[in-house]
Amino acid sequence: MSVSVTFLRPFVRFLLPFRKRSNLYSTVVQRCVSSKIPTMFYSNTANTSSSEPLELDGWKTTMKSSVPEEGASTVSNGMDEDPLAATRELIEMWRLLGKEVPEHITEEELKAIVECSSKSSKKKYLRYLYVKEKMKKAKQIKKERKAAAREEAMKDRLLETAEEDKQQNFLFLRLWDRHMNIAMDWKCAQAMQFGQPLVFDMDYDNYMKPKELQNTISQLLESEGWNRRNVDPFHIYFCNLKIDGVYHRELVQRYKEKWDKLLLTATEKSHVDLFPKDSIIYLTADSPNVMTTFKHDKIYVVGSFVDKNMQPGASLAKAKRLKLATECLPLDKYLQWDVGTKNLTLDQMMRILLCLKNTGSWEEALKFVPRRKHTGFLEVPQYSKEFVNRLRRAKTSTSFSKSSLSVAHRRGGLN
Amino acid sequence: MTFCLSGIRKFTKLWKSNPHHGHNPLPYYLSLFLTNPCGIKKQQTWFSLKALSPQKTKGTSLLSAKARHLRNEEGSTVQVSSDSPHLFAAGAAKKRSQMNPQSKQSKDNDLPPVRNIIQLPTKPLTSEEWDKLKEDFKGKTDFENWISSQMAHCHSSVDVAKSLLAWVAAKNNGIVGYNLLVKYLSLCVFHKQTSEVIDVYEIMKARYKSLESGGYSLLIRGLIYSDRWRESLLLLEDIKKVMTPSKKNYNDCIQGALLHQEVTIAWNLYQELLSHDLIPMMETLKAFFDFGKDINDDQYSNKLLDILLYLRNNQLYPGESFAHSIKAWFESGQCLGCGKTIESIHLSPEEYEFLKGRIMRDVIDGGDQYKKTTPQELQRFENFVKSCPPFDIVIDGLNVAKMFPKARESEVLSNVVSQLAKQNLRLLVLGRKHMLTQRSRWRKNEMEKIQKQASCFFADDISEDDPFLLYATLHSGNHCKFITKDLMRDHKACLPDAKTQRLFFKWQQGHQLAIMNRFLGSKIVFQHILSYDTVVQTTGDSWHIPYDEDLVERYSYEVPTKWLCLHRKT
Repeated sequence: MSVSVTFLRPFVRFLLPFRKRSNLYSTVVQRCVSSKIPTMFYSNTANTSSSEPLELDGWKTTMKSSVPEEGASTVSNGMDEDPLAATRELIEMWRLLGKEVPEHITEEELKAIVECSSKSSKKKYLRYLYVKEKMKKAKQIKKERKAAAREEAMKDRLLETAEEDKQQNFLFLRLWDRHMNIAMDWKCAQAMQFGQPLVFDMDYDNYMKPKELQNTISQLLESEGWNRRNVDPFHIYFCNLKIDGVYHRELVQRYKEKWDKLLLTATEKSHVDLFPKDSIIYLTADSPNVMTTFKHDKIYVVGSFVDKNMQPGASLAKAKRLKLATECLPLDKYLQWDVGTKNLTLDQMMRILLCLKNTGSWEEALKFVPRRKHTGFLEVPQYSKEFVNRLRRAKTSTSFSKSSLSVAHRRGGLN
Repeated sequence: MTFCLSGIRKFTKLWKSNPHHGHNPLPYYLSLFLTNPCGIKKQQTWFSLKALSPQKTKGTSLLSAKARHLRNEEGSTVQVSSDSPHLFAAGAAKKRSQMNPQSKQSKDNDLPPVRNIIQLPTKPLTSEEWDKLKEDFKGKTDFENWISSQMAHCHSSVDVAKSLLAWVAAKNNGIVGYNLLVKYLSLCVFHKQTSEVIDVYEIMKARYKSLESGGYSLLIRGLIYSDRWRESLLLLEDIKKVMTPSKKNYNDCIQGALLHQEVTIAWNLYQELLSHDLIPMMETLKAFFDFGKDINDDQYSNKLLDILLYLRNNQLYPGESFAHSIKAWFESGQCLGCGKTIESIHLSPEEYEFLKGRIMRDVIDGGDQYKKTTPQELQRFENFVKSCPPFDIVIDGLNVAKMFPKARESEVLSNVVSQLAKQNLRLLVLGRKHMLTQRSRWRKNEMEKIQKQASCFFADDISEDDPFLLYATLHSGNHCKFITKDLMRDHKACLPDAKTQRLFFKWQQGHQLAIMNRFLGSKIVFQHILSYDTVVQTTGDSWHIPYDEDLVERYSYEVPTKWLCLHRKT
């Protein structure tokens, strides 16, 4: 029974009258007094271990009596009920705790956070903002450093040029970028007339969330860039692109005034209306048919679809509905696949197709598959080569014997 | 008040005896504190805690007449194995994976290299000693942060942490950062140092206008044992301003309210928890039952029965200690009465029709018929199913055929089909068209034999056959079973809401036959099929409550095998 009595002692002070939360700030002094009652846990355990007692509770008084930190209480009391302000405070506290939250948040971002339905989605979004902010800051620092270095270099050069300021002879003016652009535009204009079509099917806008759509547009932009730089570009079609749809809006926003001058065909029509059905091949990783060679007379269709939401078979279903031929890349045949989905990004697809078109070599083309996804190229095994050769030989021999038979038959008929 | 005192005494004893007890002493303590082992033993004669395993005849004797009839019918037609746990029994998946030779080569997960060069101090250090320790430390983060999280992780004693804070404060004009305070608080809460918790609470209130969720949660947990437990409710309100409190927050507040005999507050919090669509922790529900032992109030007991119904409706299963609590509560004189049947696994006609429609609409169609099949094929299948009389067994041809990797596929399938056909069962074999093309693994004559003995439907090679399997079985009626080892989790996931998924799972448990044979040629033996539903259930005067054993790992698609059986002694 004596044990319970000793344990009761620290609870005695809780019998003090219950204080309301509103007047807490005015009772600092009283609290200081109350906290100075030595805790018995401390006196029991700590004193036995160390010979001289350490001053352990002193910090509490200063912590309690000092004014609240500025950063934590910038918002006035009247705004207390405002969820925005409360969220801002929460984020501030999380930052003090060392969590991954951004330092500065705009009003819209804050609203987006309040609208997040769950705690985890809030945290995800905050982390995204945090990483974004960090990247921006790093870029800024890098930019400043570069500017400083350039300034330094300029100074040095000024000194040098002051010393030797002589005329030099050049063949060309320095207008490389512009010339390159003009040359690329010429090539693309040529492709518009005579190039092989490559279709991006834009009919996936209702399969994607805004973020995935953003990623898709980025990939489309990059694909277009790779195509433009190629020796023999495709004639790109954006099919099923609804005017004022989400795709269209995003594309116009990214390309700005360049959008109307792009050398590609953007159309609201479907690819089945533009091209004969039997020459269309829909490329999808779900396809049961494996692409063996790149055919220069076919029209390849790539779905502009980033699928982070696990909807397998969406593009295959589209191809099935329109009764189109489907193919997938022979990734398993040439690569020792390791991790990741077989769905490649649009720009990777574009580079693979361009490479196939120009060289026809799978080994070259599949170098654009990210290295992290496979452990290396498979040697096309000797056995299978022999097997193919044997098959070919067997085929020729049977056809030969068949023809000889028919010859014999004809001869018999003659007789 | 004595209640509270005895509780506190007990837990202090507990943490004194093993202060560095590993993982989560809180629930452990609670079970010690709230259960009354003497009570269970004392009234052993009144109620019995039986462990009914489904294989025992006891389980089947409890079936309703209808279920028994159905089972007998099954017994005559299909031989069912009885010596192995059924496909959905708790722990069965683990056993299967252990039997699988591939998974045996489990990698020895080599522990990461020990980074902890610094020995955590076991007793309070002076400032000089801390300074020295800091000099030894080489790491990316700052020393104070690192050491305090290490101490929180290893549950160092409060005094060591306090000496660290004193040192930090001395260096830093008496200011201690929020992150250090929170880590100190977590230590105090862990060691149940209520007075320290209150001190930190005062400090935090003085310094910060509002806290974040982690700090609030710790404060709530720490405060509920003190006399100022009501302030934890205020903290809960503060959390609500920015986000939904977690179920742990509610659990703590409810425990606090029950600890201080405020039943109404506890029930209100419970209602609030449910209204947020949170699934309460088992500890919360257990606490209500444990508290109910000392209460003689009809309203309270009705609410406890509501909790049992909640478990039933959401197909939740109590843990072992919770089961003991439920039992103890029933034994304390609140028992309702008794009955003798366990519910049949079969769905009611309305549920059956509902599930059938859902499977058709969400699993097969799914908004785009081209995803899993084509409209033409679907039409062909529907016409086929309508033209045939109901089947007894639907076979997933490809799943069955690939059972033995070394045997020929068509041979395995025809073996199974002929054995079942001998028992005069109407069979349907579902497959894909490629099975019909003559190849080394699919012999034409064997496939023709199968087509003679059973009706067959072959889907396109790029269509999915499982949805057809499900629909054909559902279409044939309640007596029809299907054979596959597939757990159908992907199809279950296609269903829109948890309620339909539970219906599907219930139906699946009652209608799926999995072949157990390990060698070709022997008589086929099916895995035991459940004929009763594993769910918390009552017949008005008896309660049957399945529960999870502490040492068995149950996968989400498995059901417990142990039952708590409560009925009135006549």
